[in-house]
Amino acid sequence: MQRREFLSLTLGSLALAVLPASVRAEDFRVSKPTVWTAHTVDEAIKNMYGTNVLIEQGVTLTAPDVASNGGAIPVEFSTTVPAKSIAVFQDANPEAAVCVYSIGDKDVTEYEIKIKMGKSGTITIVVEGKDGKLYAAKKTLDVALGGCEG
Amino acid sequence: MKVKAKIKDGIVEVKAMAKHDMTTYNQAEKKTGNKDDANFITHITGTVNGETVIDMSTSQFLSKNPIFKFKFKGKEGDELIMTWVDRKGNTVTEKAPIKP
Repeated sequence: MQRREFLSLTLGSLALAVLPASVRAEDFRVSKPTVWTAHTVDEAIKNMYGTNVLIEQGVTLTAPDVASNGGAIPVEFSTTVPAKSIAVFQDANPEAAVCVYSIGDKDVTEYEIKIKMGKSGTITIVVEGKDGKLYAAKKTLDVALGGCEG
Repeated sequence: MKVKAKIKDGIVEVKAMAKHDMTTYNQAEKKTGNKDDANFITHITGTVNGETVIDMSTSQFLSKNPIFKFKFKGKEGDELIMTWVDRKGNTVTEKAPIKP
C-alpha cells in the first residue's frame, strides 16, 4: 500500500514537473484518492465534491435499457452547464467511480465511453458547474451478462 | 492506441481506443491470488500545441480495450497528442493529425 502510494505520488509529481505550466491537467486519483475507494455512489460524490446535493437537470445521459454484455456498456453524456469537472459513477461494482474529467475552455462537453458493470444498476453522471453547484443525470439499466465480475 | 481526429465546423471529434486489459482488483485476485496485480489505465490526457483538450482520471471500470470519444474546439492541420498511464506506470503516447 505504501509502495503504491509512493508510486502514484511520484508519477503525479513527475507528470506535473514535465508538463508545461499552461496545462491544467489534474490527476484526481492523486488529489482525491478516497473517491476511487468509495463503495457507494453517495460516498464517492461526497468525497469528490464535499456534498452530494444534486440538481437533476442540464445533463443528458444515454445508455441502453438492457445491456447484453456488461463488459462494454456504451455510455453517452453531455451537458449544457458550463463545467469545471464531470464524474461518472455506477452502483453495480465493488467501487463506484468510473472516471472524472477535468474540463477546459476548448472542451465541447459531449463524451462517450464504454464501461464495465458486474450486474444491473444505476449510472450517475455528476457535472460540477462553474457556479459551484452539482448537476446530475441518472439511468438505471439491466445487465444481462455481468462484466468480468466487476 | 488508435486515435482518429476529425474536424467539422471548428469542432474536432476524436475517437480513440487504448489497447489495455483493464484488469480489476477482483479479476486479479481470481487469476493470481493477489489483488495488487490489478492493472488498468489511471489517467488519459490529450494536448494540442501544448494545451490540454482532454483530461480523464480513470478507474478499473472502463471496458477492456476502452473506447472513448470526446470533442473540442480546434483547427485543421494541428496535431493531437494522446497519452495514457496505467497503474503500473506503463505509458503509451500516440499522435494524430486533425483531418477534415
